[in-house]
Amino acid sequence: MDRRSFLRSTAAFAGLSALAASLAPLRELSDFSSVEQFMQKYYKEMTPEEMNRVLRRITNEVEHQYGIRPHVRDLRPMDGVEFVYALNLTRCIGCRKCVHACVAENNQSRNPEIQYIRVLKMPHGSMDVEKGNHVYDDKEVPDKGFFYMPIQCQQCKNPPCVKVCPVNATWQEKDGITVIDYDWCIGCRYCEAACPYWARRFNFTKPEIPKDRLNPEMSYLGNRPRKQGVMEKCHFCIQRTRAGKYPACLEVCPVGARKFGNILDPESEISYILRTKRVFIQLKEEMGTSPRFFYYFDK
Amino acid sequence: MEPNPIEPAARNRRRTTYVLGGATLLFLGLAAAFLGDLWGHQEPRPNIPLVDRSFLESTPWRRTYSDLIRAKEDMSDFDCYGCHDKKKPLPLRFDEHNILVVPEEHKDIVMGHGTHNRNNLCYNCHNESNLLTFQVRDGRELKFADSTQLCGSCHGPNYRDWEAGAHGRINGFWNTALGEARKLDCANCHNPHAPRIPTREPAPGPHALRSVATHPIHSETTP
Repeated sequence: MDRRSFLRSTAAFAGLSALAASLAPLRELSDFSSVEQFMQKYYKEMTPEEMNRVLRRITNEVEHQYGIRPHVRDLRPMDGVEFVYALNLTRCIGCRKCVHACVAENNQSRNPEIQYIRVLKMPHGSMDVEKGNHVYDDKEVPDKGFFYMPIQCQQCKNPPCVKVCPVNATWQEKDGITVIDYDWCIGCRYCEAACPYWARRFNFTKPEIPKDRLNPEMSYLGNRPRKQGVMEKCHFCIQRTRAGKYPACLEVCPVGARKFGNILDPESEISYILRTKRVFIQLKEEMGTSPRFFYYFDK
Repeated sequence: MEPNPIEPAARNRRRTTYVLGGATLLFLGLAAAFLGDLWGHQEPRPNIPLVDRSFLESTPWRRTYSDLIRAKEDMSDFDCYGCHDKKKPLPLRFDEHNILVVPEEHKDIVMGHGTHNRNNLCYNCHNESNLLTFQVRDGRELKFADSTQLCGSCHGPNYRDWEAGAHGRINGFWNTALGEARKLDCANCHNPHAPRIPTREPAPGPHALRSVATHPIHSETTP
């Protein structure tokens, strides 16, 4: 053969084998998005009829996968409501019930594990998070000489994650919750890099949710099961809080360290706390993110 | 040398066919190798046990007198005059170190109220002339269902915080126009005889993506 044919055939062979190698990971992808999901519109551009169709699609998909027919809604923010969270560091005992209640309520993957809340065990006398230990395995809590600080998405007023998203898949709604449109997210993880609090979680694989622990009360922007390759994070239990309920982490806290409510309501307990308690800490205040999460001490 | 009877162009075409054919076979072989997982495979994920359901419950640690009434429980424990005599209030007994001695019949009660147990006096709260009520330092008598008022009569700041919703826990709806909120009482968390919250076992911590045996989790601080 001549040189031209040899080079052409070598190039063709190299190209074809590279194609074979690059297609190998497709074997691990267990759920292909349907055409309907691929062609779905951006959340903010959907008409109510389109949203209803999408909710029906999600209901059918979840029923097909888990055998349970869920109740999927699209809850809108309430007027005159802006959510703020306060956490009493004098009370938190580090029991991690909030972590697991959140996982159960929001249908997070159990393996690989996704947990929106991370509890840091901090030594007394410092707010330096570098000194925190989140993998503590004390036999009994609280341990003497330490305090416990749970960290989750701070729903910042000036969110860096929203700024860096190249496709606007994440934005802050008018009641203060920073939300993600899971069907619009491309999984580039810029938001995870931008967040100073490590609030964002990525689905490296298809999330594994045990059927008997699935929470069927779902919402589009909240706790409906996600797919491989999208980001997720704490959304203040949007399916609960926009229906007027407390978030799951607050409901289980055995010492009442968590306080949540509408800051625009002067009678709410959150307004009382911000008016009367003395010491408030917003984590990494110097980053200028203006978090909606206020850590405070009672004493 | 005698030229090949086949034309050079045809010869080239044949060789190209062979090479391309060989390349295709090699490609299919590679594809089979990738699909058949002949080398390199994903490390199996460590098995992560599901968390115990007790960590998901929002049930309060204790039930108050009112909770027991609502649940229609057996209230014979609260029938003080089933044993006591209305006309003979019993005096408190102290040992040689002036420590309160809890009678045998009430040995399930372990006292531990106040710093250095300085409030271990039954009749600071219980009314010796009417055991079915509490007595407040300002002279009021309270029913058992109103025990929160009794706690608040000494613990003012915590009681005012509790009234505002800053101390303790409220379950249910933050927007009471849409549903009911249930505020827990003092006795739902605090044992009135030993109110300090005891230590307990925490839920398990986070598990790493890779197996810990081959990739141990190091922590800078080792508290």
